[in-house]
Amino acid sequence: MRIAITFRRVMAVAVVAGGACIAAYAANHERTASPTPATLAVTTKSDAAREDYEMGMKDREDLLYIEQGTDYMRLAVKADPHFALAHAALAYFTTDPVEEKRELELSVKNLSHASPDERLLIKWLNGTKDGNLVPAIAAMNDLLAKYPNDKRLANLSAEWLCSGQQNFERGEDVLQKVLKNDAAYYPALNNLAYCYALSGRVNLAPALMERYVRLLPNQPNPEDSYGELLRMAGDYDGAITHYRAALKIDPKFTTSQLGIASTLALMGDEEAARPEYSKAVEMTSDRATKLNYRMLMALTYYRAGQADVARKQFTDLATEAHQADLAIQEAEAQRTMALFNTDTAAALTDIEAAEGTLSEKHVVAPEARDVELATIEQTRAFIAARANRLDATQKAFDTLKTLAASSRNNLIQQSFHSGNGALLFLAGKHSEAISELQYDPRNPLSLTLLAVVQAKAGATADAHATLETLAAIIDERVETAFAVPQARAGLKAAADVVAPQPATTAQSNGHRGGPM
Amino acid sequence: MTKRVLICSLVLAALASAVYAADLAVIVNPQNPVKSMTLAELTKILKGKSPSWPTGHNITIVLRDGDSPMLKLVAEKIMGVGADDARRALSDPSRKATAPVVFATTDEDIVKFVGSNSSAIGFVDVYNITGAVKVIKIDDKQPFDPGYVLKAH
Repeated sequence: MRIAITFRRVMAVAVVAGGACIAAYAANHERTASPTPATLAVTTKSDAAREDYEMGMKDREDLLYIEQGTDYMRLAVKADPHFALAHAALAYFTTDPVEEKRELELSVKNLSHASPDERLLIKWLNGTKDGNLVPAIAAMNDLLAKYPNDKRLANLSAEWLCSGQQNFERGEDVLQKVLKNDAAYYPALNNLAYCYALSGRVNLAPALMERYVRLLPNQPNPEDSYGELLRMAGDYDGAITHYRAALKIDPKFTTSQLGIASTLALMGDEEAARPEYSKAVEMTSDRATKLNYRMLMALTYYRAGQADVARKQFTDLATEAHQADLAIQEAEAQRTMALFNTDTAAALTDIEAAEGTLSEKHVVAPEARDVELATIEQTRAFIAARANRLDATQKAFDTLKTLAASSRNNLIQQSFHSGNGALLFLAGKHSEAISELQYDPRNPLSLTLLAVVQAKAGATADAHATLETLAAIIDERVETAFAVPQARAGLKAAADVVAPQPATTAQSNGHRGGPM
Repeated sequence: MTKRVLICSLVLAALASAVYAADLAVIVNPQNPVKSMTLAELTKILKGKSPSWPTGHNITIVLRDGDSPMLKLVAEKIMGVGADDARRALSDPSRKATAPVVFATTDEDIVKFVGSNSSAIGFVDVYNITGAVKVIKIDDKQPFDPGYVLKAH
């Protein structure tokens, strides 16, 4: 995995850890488990738990072996059920909502076994999950001040600031300080490269990636990261070269296999992408992750314009998810069908189904459920607003308002503003709608609607700029697969009208299917 | 890297510039019993019309100087004026005796000042708070809350 946290919705595929073959992995990778000096000490009576915790942090945070690192954390809490910090770390790392909920509760229940500084770290980690961000940020900053030489702590913080909070300035500052003291601290090189890329300076990333690859020549993640960053920049061929290099180092590095598949899909070569997705499905043992990868594979049919085949696949996947009690995946499959449904009434029926899935009795962490519900309602608002359906837009807004009133989650808040923007748009309040939609500047649905509203308001240049922003998005999200091709086509049509030119192929600069 | 990379980079830069908008945290010393206030009360404090805490101690205001976005936010959202007018009003020498204003160059300095001064009130990017200060609610809301009034955008 390229970085430990990716912003949600960039990866509709949550890499749910579980069932990895740790013994086989460990046999192939020489590592030591001695803690870094000047780091926050962990409290456990079990040497095995301490060792597992350290191995988990090393794998998960340093080497980006996401599944293995999370598995080590599971071993740590098994070895010492009172190991509060390990429970919090597992809750922070896992993408399994059931496990997250359980581990959050266990970390709080076992707080009395933790040192004061561990409690601070737990307060921060848990706060990022339960929405108590103000005390969480204070705890994070207190720890950074108290342990200025704890590189892993700084790296973990910066990763959250950049990828989780989009606070690139602060995240970069933390990482630059780490690298000033230790220019060879490779996890910081990786995260700084992503921080640059996510903040729009992807051109600064390759130099860091070159250093990262040189420092860890036998590790797959540097090559994997390099691949993903090049893909973000639209260099698909370069991306695949680096993904293949990662797999050459470690044939079991699943995210690189997924990277190849998704890169091919983004290039428009859906036929070639599918067998690569199949390989990724085979490489992971976790049932939720398998389902997520299969949904990405099914998305290739929508990308290819084979809506009937895609719908059949997503219908089957929703049924499978239902039988496996994976409510988030089931709802996500239904939401995807809604988004690509060209019949508004039928699309809104799909949305009803997705909403209904979440209202059934499932074991799902409340936060995860609310985020998915907000995503569904945002999609409902988008579909309804485009069809001038005030009733459905209002319904979506009402639910989003309720969700937003009780949650500080950024994603829920952004969905609320997007839904409000849709409603204001239908009310003809263009200026207010624009302001609301701008709260959600990464979401292709919000950007699509924003461009429409700006055009209606007469802000043609702004609308064009918004479409350019949208067209430049390169990721695996369902929303991106839906909205970006339309934006690129719209821009191309506009350019053809303004200045008819001989067609230039994407291959002319060595790339295919990238941004305009 | 190719031309496509550069174009993508520029567009992403525009995207990113719109992404991060930190909430403004209003901070006091943890010993200060005040836990919340209304926006109207905060406005009075900044305008020098409400110069003391309920305890009777004079309020010392500390915020960023220069052209910081946070000063602009304080000016527009709390004082209802532009940054220049706010700077002028806050720098008025006649306030020194009753409602002194301290300008700091960094949020870190503001946090340190408020953390060691029980009568101070400070304004910082919420991502820069520490356990040495207390974040107070404005109109019953704190940073990240839905509808929080001091949200930068």
